[in-house]
Amino acid sequence: MIHFKKVTKKYNHDFWALHGVDLEIKDGEFVSLVGPSGAGKSTLIKMLIKEDRPTSGQILLDNVDLADVPDQDIPFLRRKIGMIFQDFRLLESKTAFENVAFALEVSGVPEESIAEDVKQVLTIVGLSDKQKNFPRELSGGEKQRLALARALVHRPKIILADEPTGNLDLVNSYDVVKLLWRINELGTTVILATHDVQIVNTVGKRVVTMEKGKVVRDQLEGGKYII
Amino acid sequence: MEKQKDYKNYSLGRIIKTGWVSFRRNSFLSFGATGVMALALLVFSSLIVFNFFTNRLISFLDEKVDVSVYFQGEAKEDQILKIKSDLESLSSVERVVYVSREQALEDFKVRHKDDQLIQDSLAELESNPLQASLNVKAIDTGQYASITNFLEQNSLKTVIDKISFYENEGAIERVRGFSRGLYGWGLLATIALGLVAVLVTFNTIRLTIYNKKEEIEIMKLVGASNWHIRGPFLVEGGLYGLFAAVLALAIFYPGIYFVSDKLGALASSLNLFSYFVGYSLQMILVIVGSGLALGVFSSFSAIRRHLKI
Repeated sequence: MIHFKKVTKKYNHDFWALHGVDLEIKDGEFVSLVGPSGAGKSTLIKMLIKEDRPTSGQILLDNVDLADVPDQDIPFLRRKIGMIFQDFRLLESKTAFENVAFALEVSGVPEESIAEDVKQVLTIVGLSDKQKNFPRELSGGEKQRLALARALVHRPKIILADEPTGNLDLVNSYDVVKLLWRINELGTTVILATHDVQIVNTVGKRVVTMEKGKVVRDQLEGGKYII
Repeated sequence: MEKQKDYKNYSLGRIIKTGWVSFRRNSFLSFGATGVMALALLVFSSLIVFNFFTNRLISFLDEKVDVSVYFQGEAKEDQILKIKSDLESLSSVERVVYVSREQALEDFKVRHKDDQLIQDSLAELESNPLQASLNVKAIDTGQYASITNFLEQNSLKTVIDKISFYENEGAIERVRGFSRGLYGWGLLATIALGLVAVLVTFNTIRLTIYNKKEEIEIMKLVGASNWHIRGPFLVEGGLYGLFAAVLALAIFYPGIYFVSDKLGALASSLNLFSYFVGYSLQMILVIVGSGLALGVFSSFSAIRRHLKI
């Protein structure tokens, strides 16, 4: 369970990126986090992986206050949370297989189990026939699916998707969202930050709307993106 | 926070491999860092040689320094032996050798046994022209002045004809002064070059960190352990040091062979080359150790400043 308690974030003296956010997300939920650019969606997501720290307030993950997680344990936190971004963040010099394997290698996983795990996640995202291709040889949708495979390879409890469809056309966007959906059905919590109205309305699950650093609307079921 | 298993054994191999690959791919940059570091190590090695050489030279000259006390003809043996025992009681004295007039004459005869003219002149003499003497060796060359002083204060001073010890003192002082000066400059050059080497390596690692910004970002994102992110850079820094040490040693030994040859003509008892070959294990350990320390230290500083986790 994720619990934001009165979280604030102040940048440059008087700019409030977050202004007292209270939000609870249960295990296995699919939450669309919507709002215009600068509403605080990305800040909220960054705080979950401790890339940024709140100015005040508390963030609890499975009842552990993230402020109490020491720096040397941050890698363990990040292996529990998979992330994907609008710009994919793939290594251009590595093949699809190597991009996913890299995540396991730098976590110290033995060679024997890497190959198997990587093939498995590449199959889940439908890229088993593109293992040897470099990112430049993949379409936008395929790149995002590859990034998703990399996020999944640690078998995380949570997937954070920060504008994952921002660079994709409608068909590819829909493919990625369908995948997130499937992953969610298998029990993984998914938080999808987006300002893509069509996508949010298609998903139709819980929709949390943010504006100027505050949660202004929280539709628990069948949510729509209301502008 | 619940931790996953961290497989340390698998990590070390991967970290070293990543560091090695980066070192190889950066060959142009690596060349600069390795070259400057090799130069610093080379100057450092020369300093070791220089220090060894001057120490040898000083102890060689020290060995030649002693005080000889010559006694007047009428001095009695028991007076001389009294002075000898007085001298022996001094803590600064290593040994005192008594040479009687007869012994001096014997030694003189033996020394000049092939010189007929001297032999004939000696035979002409009715009495022994040579003086009895005490040969004093101090533990430390700095103490001869106090020994002389002691003799001049002695109650039996009247039987002493002359005290001589100045012969090598000036030479020793000159060597000392010269070696101190040169050693100081050598040390300064080593420190300055070491500093330059650290700066160049620091900069090289900084550039590597900058080039790998994206990769580091992704590593953090996928939960790479801090050791996995930082380790390869430390390995890379260490490799600069290691290769610099190999390069420095590859220049040092032929160099010392050449110098040793030249110096051999000057002081035949001093064979620098065979000395340093005899101590090659120590030499390799010191140079490789210094290289590794320089490289890892530079890398560590660069990581601390430019690689935030």
